[in-house]
Amino acid sequence: MEFRLEAHRIVSISLGKIYSARGQRGGLKLHKNLLVSLVLRSARRVYLGEPGGECGLPPRPRDPPPPDCERLRRGGYRPLGSEAAARGRVECPAESPRKRSAVERGQAAGSPGKKPRREAEPSPPQEDMETGNVASLISIFGSSFSGLLGKERGAAEASEPGQVCCEQPVLRSLNPWSTAIVAF
Amino acid sequence: RLSISSDIISTVEFNHTGELLATGDKGGRVVIFQREPESKNEPYNQGEYNVYSTFQSHEPEFDYLKSLEIEEKINKIKWLPQQNAAHSLLSTNDKTIKLWKVTERDKRPEGYNLKDEEGKLKDLSTVTSLQVPVLKPMDLMVEVTPRRIFANGHTYHVNSISVNSDCETYMSADDLRINLWHLAITDRSFNIVDIKPANMEDLTEVITASEFHPHHCNLFVYSSSKGSLRLCDMRASALCDKHSKLFEEPEDPSNRSFFSEIISSVSDVKFSHSGRYMLTRDYLTVKVWDLNMETKPIETYQVHDYLRSKLCSLYENDCIFDKFECAWNGSDSVIMTGAYNNFFRMFDRNTKRDVTLEASRESSKPRAILKPRRVCVGGKRRKDDISVDSLDFTKKILHTAWHPTENIIAIAATNNLYIFQDKVNSEMH
Repeated sequence: MEFRLEAHRIVSISLGKIYSARGQRGGLKLHKNLLVSLVLRSARRVYLGEPGGECGLPPRPRDPPPPDCERLRRGGYRPLGSEAAARGRVECPAESPRKRSAVERGQAAGSPGKKPRREAEPSPPQEDMETGNVASLISIFGSSFSGLLGKERGAAEASEPGQVCCEQPVLRSLNPWSTAIVAF
Repeated sequence: RLSISSDIISTVEFNHTGELLATGDKGGRVVIFQREPESKNEPYNQGEYNVYSTFQSHEPEFDYLKSLEIEEKINKIKWLPQQNAAHSLLSTNDKTIKLWKVTERDKRPEGYNLKDEEGKLKDLSTVTSLQVPVLKPMDLMVEVTPRRIFANGHTYHVNSISVNSDCETYMSADDLRINLWHLAITDRSFNIVDIKPANMEDLTEVITASEFHPHHCNLFVYSSSKGSLRLCDMRASALCDKHSKLFEEPEDPSNRSFFSEIISSVSDVKFSHSGRYMLTRDYLTVKVWDLNMETKPIETYQVHDYLRSKLCSLYENDCIFDKFECAWNGSDSVIMTGAYNNFFRMFDRNTKRDVTLEASRESSKPRAILKPRRVCVGGKRRKDDISVDSLDFTKKILHTAWHPTENIIAIAATNNLYIFQDKVNSEMH
């Protein structure tokens, strides 16, 4: 569960990079944006608890936690993998119990201000807003590269946090960014 | 000293004899340094590099069709092997490669019959005898002229260029394609590698660097963002999408993290002078590969493994995307690469010893000896050690070059160029 917070932080950071990449001098840096999208995809899988998310990141041996993501540690959260390690073995069922159906995802995205369905943990109020914002954006993603970037166009048009940007099936078919990349 | 971002050095390259050293910067300028010949009169000036020529290679451009600005930053410079009195080099920004010819003029003709000193026509009535014009010495003038402009060959950003050993062709690589050019032909190029997927949604990998084999004009290598190397043979087929050899090391599962893919991306690949080995740099290591073994590198050296636990922060501040270069010495016995805090590292392949040195004004008084540095990661801390947390990540050494035959290295530290010579061990071992 705690590793979902690290994943969430990485998702927020990655989104910020994709946003700021738009205005960069010299045009879209394909290599960097590809790497960011790959990180985003992994973090998203872990965050949403999709099958293969945790399994892609096997439990680390029980070493002292790496001094990474300091904020999370200060908040008392254990680092990535430790919960899984505590469980002894990571089970990778075909269907993760925490996987949300498309309908549930849509509902979560469609309720501004409502916290996404998560195990309860104390988080400061400002992180709630950020979490809600990020969760609704994540739910819009397709798992593909363009789906990732397609979200950006949708998100840009809906600047208020928590607002429904677009429904997943519709955005997938638009793929404005994939067109831009091909033309580029 | 006020630092201007357009001064940031973006590439460094010795020519084939080591007499000349070229640097390119973010502002599109190229500066060429020339080594002073050793003379008995001024023994202390032996072998020092002084500015030989400066010119503006590329200017910022605007692509109106795509509404994109094209940066003037020089990504790479490669020298052509010298074939006459002139020197030639290729310089490239993100889109356009240019061939520059560097010539010297140190004599000029004087004593024309029809023209006077300033070139004006003489009054013929004053001409009473014929003279033969003679060449008289003049102050050295270095002229740089653009001889070829290879434009419109690339949709994506050019990351490398490499001159073939045949001295007639060269290749240029962008994120998804590699083109082969003839040095004399600018309106055509052959596409020899194309990894662009039919659907850009399926993109998983880009080309990060490429180089021709130093001796076999049909072989070249290119590296990918997934950490693999592909050796291609141009004789096998026109389009080299199928590699002859694929060099890839399986990932260590115990090191897996969100950032595994980023840190395995190869930022530079260099053939050894012998042509037998390849050197690659990824975020945390340099690796030596034997062309005869595809399954794993024969040597792996840790550049700054203490950063492995800091990848999340380095992702946040973008440092994880820094592209470090690597270099061989002339005898292929030592390899060098840059790091943070203006540190650079050297690894001796024979003795397995390594050293960390710093390029800074304080440590670089003329004829001072560089003191080895150490980064402490906990445990015993010696005097003058630097702790990992006090490393300055804005001071990065991305570009380094080694003289082809002697122990002279050029280190680019942001907008400063440092040239270090090993006077004691001038000869290669």
